[in-house]
Amino acid sequence: MPGTTSQKDIELIIEPVGRGGGPAAPPAGGDDSGGNGGERRRPGQPSPNRYYTGIAVAIVSILMFFMALASAFLLRKGSSTNWVAVRIPPLLWLNTLILLASSCAVELARKQLAIQNLSKFKRYWNLSTILGVLFLTGQLVVWRQLEAQGIYLASNPASSFFYIFTGAHALHVLGGVVALLYVATRNFDKAKVSRSVAAEVTSYYWHFLDALWIFLLLLLYVGR
Amino acid sequence: MVTHDDGLASPHSSDAGFFAGIFFADHKTIGLQYLWVALASVLVGMVLSAILRWHTSWPDTAIPFLTSLNQAPESFAALRLLHGSLMVFFVLTAAPQMGFGSFLLPLQIGASEMAFPSLNRLSFWMTFASFVGITLSFFYPLSQGIQVWLASAALFSLAALLSAINFIVTTIELRAPGMTLPRLPITVWAWFLTAILSMLIFSILLAGSVALLSDRLLGSEFFSSATFLAQQPQNLVRQGSLPVLWERLFWYFAQAQVYVAMLPCFGIITHLIATFARKPVWKERLVVFALCGVGLVGFCVWGYHMFATGMNPYAPIVFAVLASSLGVPAAVLLASWLGTLWQARIELSTSMLFALGFISLFIAGGLSGIFLARHDLARAAVSEEFVVGHFHLVMGVAATFAILGALFFWFPKLFDRRLNEPLGKLHFWLTFAGVYAIFMPMHWMGLLTQSNLLPDSQRMALASASSSIRTFVTLATVCTVGAQLIFIFNFAATLLHHKAAAESNPWSASTLEWAIPLLVTSEGAAAAASPVVYRGAYEFLENDSLAPVPQHLAPELPPSRLP
Repeated sequence: MPGTTSQKDIELIIEPVGRGGGPAAPPAGGDDSGGNGGERRRPGQPSPNRYYTGIAVAIVSILMFFMALASAFLLRKGSSTNWVAVRIPPLLWLNTLILLASSCAVELARKQLAIQNLSKFKRYWNLSTILGVLFLTGQLVVWRQLEAQGIYLASNPASSFFYIFTGAHALHVLGGVVALLYVATRNFDKAKVSRSVAAEVTSYYWHFLDALWIFLLLLLYVGR
Repeated sequence: MVTHDDGLASPHSSDAGFFAGIFFADHKTIGLQYLWVALASVLVGMVLSAILRWHTSWPDTAIPFLTSLNQAPESFAALRLLHGSLMVFFVLTAAPQMGFGSFLLPLQIGASEMAFPSLNRLSFWMTFASFVGITLSFFYPLSQGIQVWLASAALFSLAALLSAINFIVTTIELRAPGMTLPRLPITVWAWFLTAILSMLIFSILLAGSVALLSDRLLGSEFFSSATFLAQQPQNLVRQGSLPVLWERLFWYFAQAQVYVAMLPCFGIITHLIATFARKPVWKERLVVFALCGVGLVGFCVWGYHMFATGMNPYAPIVFAVLASSLGVPAAVLLASWLGTLWQARIELSTSMLFALGFISLFIAGGLSGIFLARHDLARAAVSEEFVVGHFHLVMGVAATFAILGALFFWFPKLFDRRLNEPLGKLHFWLTFAGVYAIFMPMHWMGLLTQSNLLPDSQRMALASASSSIRTFVTLATVCTVGAQLIFIFNFAATLLHHKAAAESNPWSASTLEWAIPLLVTSEGAAAAASPVVYRGAYEFLENDSLAPVPQHLAPELPPSRLP
């Protein structure tokens, strides 16, 4: 976030001029943008803040979903005898590295966007999208490997939880890849949001999926 | 002059067409759509409750039109599930929060739309699909029906989550200039806090139903494993009960769900009482804290549904203390309502009657709640009828009163006309008497079933008393359901026959939603789009007129008399 504040301020100044709106709004914000919410924008005009708040709230909600499953995991593990722990396939560690690398690529891309280097931004951004797809493919291979060992969703409670954790996470990553593609392909001249806002919001979600994955991996590792 | 883009941006252009009406609906239309779904559900649910009562009193008589439902216990259970899920999901959750909230929240904070309008539409249509699914699930054989039900419940959770995110972001980001947190109407506070609570708990129901669905369809072993059940300590597994793990997840959701239904009702009632008592809410800031407290404690007390299931011996004490401490915010709310009414010149409109009825039901239900909240007393009090009587009185009927009060109050805003007041008052008194006649005797029946320590002769006498009470309850149910015809008539006749009313602020209320059309006529649409707020939500002149001081009235201007 600190890397992009200058970017947001520039837009806030530019926007009223572009619309040619009546009141000559004072260049609010500047460097000392105090918390005076009333003066920052003209009412009725979409403010990008809603996207930051929206993604924060959505993240809490997704976290709660996984916490419910995690608590069920621990309770279930403590009270069952047919718990056959799933040995974590080595490929999973590689996938983790890929996901982490993808997060780094998103950050590098945003650094480039902050200095208005659009072509480098696109290159890094596409790299992170490809890494995201690679992660999903890797997860698919992991499921295939487990299947080959005869470990299915219905085999025992531990395998059920392994599949639901990885599956639900993969579904969220898929959503993240769609968001990455949206930022890459959208024509932002016509959109209500600017590219930097869309990129920042997507990057928050993407980093969250990273952290969530590491938590799930630790849970599966500790809960063997 | 009108370009294609303009047509898309303004959905109320007359040639927008059917599909545009569905896919470009604004927040008001969506709010109304939620309310229509709620109305359909409440009518079906109410008829179902009459059928259920009829069956418990006279199990042998065939119910007209429903003879095709065979007399199997499963269809009775399925009927109860349908009644419960329609009422809880599509009436108690959808109407006060999503329905009135979608319609009024942007208006009350001076915004022109929700933060994410498309998300709002999506969550409505998911709710609608889930409504269809839950209704259809009843017509399938039980084992398939429960899968359809679970899928629909998961869909509803998702819809509620999206809607909650929208509410939270709208309240945080889209408030009009000057609409500081202390100036927010209590209704907005209640919708906001409810949205936070739903965002947390519907994720849990979603996780639980996805896991259970996967157990049933894919054979995974989250809950349903014979070996798992066998490993549970015997006192934890009653014959035919659900596995404890599912029970935990479910009650974790469902107890907080009670407050998701009740919090917006508290907001609505506080709002109605302040408006009709023509006084600011007494100790307004404390009320906001009390609403937060209800949400917070309500989130932590799921365990008290499991006193009878059995749990770690220390856990019930913790849950009992927490559940009893819910009395503190409840008492603050009650004190504020009574304090607002104290020495006020009260206008007894139908909405106000429903608000006062709500207070009465809240007290009655709160008192029987004390028995259920304490683990030691619960052992004596927990019985089917006592619990059913308690939660219907305090959750079902009280919330319905709040919804009806809100409907009478905001009807001019929703439909541009007023419901008939004398008919509304008649409907109120019949319903008010009816619900006490139904649910109070139910508490007694519940206590009577606990009499197995008495000598045989007394138990015989009690048993016969119990059967006559049961008949009385059933007759009262049928009469009360019948009394709702008055409301249906009032509603339909007003919509069909009455012409639009000219008054823009019929109740002389002070919040922004009533001010916006005034601004449109006097100062033009530009001002209506961007009201500026200068004062608190509930300010009235202290002279004889008791006229409201609208929130957007600038302090330097003399407070004008409003028509």
